[in-house]
Amino acid sequence: MITCERVSFRYPDAAQPALSDVSFTVSEGDFVVVVGPSGAGKSTLLRSLNGLVPHFTGGTFSGRLVVDGFEPVAVGPQRMCRHVGFVFQDPEAQFVMDRVEDEIAFALENAAMAPQEMRSRVEEVLGLLELASLRGRTLATLSGGEKQRVAIAAALALRPRVLVLDEPTSQLDPQSAEDVLTAVARLNVEAGLTIVLAEHRLERVLSFANRVIFVPGGAAPVIAGSPREVVASIALAPPVSKLGKALGWSPLPVTLEEAQPFVAGSLPEILGGVSSGTLTAPIPASDAGHASSATYLVAESLDVAYTGQRVVSDVSLTLSRGEVTVLMGRNGAGKSTLLKSLVGLVRPERGRVRLDGRDITAAPVAEICRDVAYLPQDPNALLFAETVVEELHITLRNHGIALSAAPVPPEVLLGRLGLADKVAAYPRDLSVGERQRVALAAIMVTEPGVLLLDEPTRGLDYEAKARLADLIRQARDARLAVLLVTHDVELAAAVADRVVLMGDGRIVAQGDPYTVLAGSTGFATQIARLFPGAGWLTVEDALKALKP
Amino acid sequence: MHPLAWFLWIAAAALVPLATRNPLYLVIDFAVTCVVADAVRGQLPQGPLPAFVSPVRFGLFAVPAGALFNVLTSHVGEAVFLRLPDAIPLIGGPLTVESLVYGAINGLILATLFSAFAVLTLAVPVRDLIAYLPRAFYPIAVVSAIAATFVPSSLRQFQQVREAQAIRGYRMRGLRDWLPLFMPVLIGGLERALQLAEAMTARGFASDESGEQASKRNGGRTVVSQLVLTGGLLCVLAGGVMRLLPQGSAVSLPLLLAGSLATAWVVWRVGSQVRYTRYRRPVWAGIDSAVAVLSVLAVIPLLVLAHDYSPYPRLSPPAFDLRVGIAFLGLLVPGLRGTGPLGSGPLGSGGDRRCPSGHSPELGTIGHSGEQHDHV
Repeated sequence: MITCERVSFRYPDAAQPALSDVSFTVSEGDFVVVVGPSGAGKSTLLRSLNGLVPHFTGGTFSGRLVVDGFEPVAVGPQRMCRHVGFVFQDPEAQFVMDRVEDEIAFALENAAMAPQEMRSRVEEVLGLLELASLRGRTLATLSGGEKQRVAIAAALALRPRVLVLDEPTSQLDPQSAEDVLTAVARLNVEAGLTIVLAEHRLERVLSFANRVIFVPGGAAPVIAGSPREVVASIALAPPVSKLGKALGWSPLPVTLEEAQPFVAGSLPEILGGVSSGTLTAPIPASDAGHASSATYLVAESLDVAYTGQRVVSDVSLTLSRGEVTVLMGRNGAGKSTLLKSLVGLVRPERGRVRLDGRDITAAPVAEICRDVAYLPQDPNALLFAETVVEELHITLRNHGIALSAAPVPPEVLLGRLGLADKVAAYPRDLSVGERQRVALAAIMVTEPGVLLLDEPTRGLDYEAKARLADLIRQARDARLAVLLVTHDVELAAAVADRVVLMGDGRIVAQGDPYTVLAGSTGFATQIARLFPGAGWLTVEDALKALKP
Repeated sequence: MHPLAWFLWIAAAALVPLATRNPLYLVIDFAVTCVVADAVRGQLPQGPLPAFVSPVRFGLFAVPAGALFNVLTSHVGEAVFLRLPDAIPLIGGPLTVESLVYGAINGLILATLFSAFAVLTLAVPVRDLIAYLPRAFYPIAVVSAIAATFVPSSLRQFQQVREAQAIRGYRMRGLRDWLPLFMPVLIGGLERALQLAEAMTARGFASDESGEQASKRNGGRTVVSQLVLTGGLLCVLAGGVMRLLPQGSAVSLPLLLAGSLATAWVVWRVGSQVRYTRYRRPVWAGIDSAVAVLSVLAVIPLLVLAHDYSPYPRLSPPAFDLRVGIAFLGLLVPGLRGTGPLGSGPLGSGGDRRCPSGHSPELGTIGHSGEQHDHV
């Protein structure tokens, strides 16, 4: 279905090629997962499959690429759309129309398709993606997962034989991501579509894939093969594979199902050695009793409305110094609004926010943020200076702090964040992870006591995520009270001292990470699922117990 | 409701302030449009609502502002209630009750037009509006529709950037302080525009295929179209200029007519080469006929019976014909509950009407109807 022979591509004015001598083949009906670090060329490779690269981007393309019998470079994206459906990372950025049916019909209208045919195609994809009940809904009223399924349906309307998806679940909560991936897997199995999907979170997708293409970036060769072959030969691996590698399991499991036989026999034995207290800890829905001497930021009975609708209801939350609290919940549960209300960007209708005993409910945002650093979902919104270090100077200036009186010298802070060599760089030229760390530096240069992070793992690869986890631990060690909002259960398990689950604007559970995460089907980590009841969330937890 | 029914309704509601300055009729028309705007807004589906300025609020601003502006700048009328020193440029001179009333009527006219078009914005989505544009303008119309939806998303992004700067201790003091907000919004806007353009390209928008084929097929016909368009526009220009000359008025009208017809023919001809089909064609229902008839009937008495009104030179009470006033009430029909969903799209929903099969709107074709073009 896809033949890629010695393909290289260089963007206009780029010093290095984005793709270098890439070769692989994909058979009809394959489910291919493309993995690799950020900036390695995954998106470029995907975009070349429908001709967006080089037709839309410009640049120099060499080698031979054939998809469904056509050469995208020769045919161009506007005609390749009949053979390759393309789904982007952010569904909202690709919507043209405002309603489900109209969005799906858009490509058909452009193709001047006969009305009856158009109607049957729309019906077909509505059925395939189980969207029939949403057909008349406006896109703005859909959840994140529903929007992404509409984007897939829209891409499938022209009946392409290949569906390409560029990190389609990166902005979704685990349950919505699962829904989208299940829908894609059904298209693969039932409709025989060839799927090419880029994804950072391997644990989410490997159970559906029969092939993996690892794009290492630079001049290193692309590795393609079965999931087991590729995972065995690269550092990137889902938790069960990491555990399998450490324990010498053979054949190496890449999915939960493949790993289960290795522990099935020994599970009762393992569970026998785990204290029952860990397993039966109750889940308190209230925050009472959590306060301690380290208590720093306290929200009391907050009711918050956003654009006229009650989003947060009666939420009480305590953040303590030297503790990482992870806030999880489905898209639209009210997590971001709660964070905004803590820094005064949205004023609560009811309730109080106290910082170190001081009531800051009505305090100006600028005053609160001197001591409460808040990193919004899109760090790009923060960056506008000419250099990285200038971003920090601006924050200090905004707060009326002289450079000489800065609590922490900007260069020192940038060094701590691994940006020592980027001091003079233009912030928007940096990678996603680096930009995020610059934004983090810009809000932390006042040396705040609280750090609030809203979905910081968007677009981060494994390495950048590991670095972020280290930074969060550093913040905890520096006695900051950290509140992390994330959909990434593996990151949550790696850094959380306490987990709070929100649903429909309320706190529905909170407690120690194991009790809350393992007790929830949607938010359990792979290791927690592999060893139910053992009290382990991460590979490290399991190895500590199994390989003392 | 069908967009064409809405167009008729808007035309009738907007004709009143253009046809009369009688404040009594204007007040009735304004009240009717406000009621309908409120009803339309109330019937919108759940979800984020578009930015909306209430017509009543606009009226509360426009009427006093119009009165103030006119009383200060127009010094005509007999009932002088204050005199500003003549030395003050523009506003110096007598201030009269007549000019105050005239200005207030101006404000009322503006508010009524605003209210009528607010209904249009709420009830008929841009997508349905562009469907009634000539086909020749289809690509431009789609881009315009997207540009229209881009405004709210840009506002959302502006809000995001403003918040992001606020959390860095940024305080807005003067105009210069807007600069740091401008850059991220501009860059973000360009990034979003590129993403959308990429997504549209990937879905076959503005495919050069049909254009290529059409130009091969039509060859020299394009040259004819260009020549006719140039000639038509020159005729319109010449006709317009000759209208200004006393001796040329006899030929100006035929020239204008010929030029307009030639231009319209080119638009039709170019449009016939644009290939696209429409998924959704709103259904004309009984309520649409009722609205159309009542809209026409609402303005006929006004045009036949009503006399215009002017407060100059001396203020007098406006005349009122009950038949004209009652006829206006026919414009209330779209505001009545139970007339079904209004318009189509997020702001309404003619498209929510299902065809008898129960799950899809009636489909329509524009372009080469019924013809399927499988190009690859």
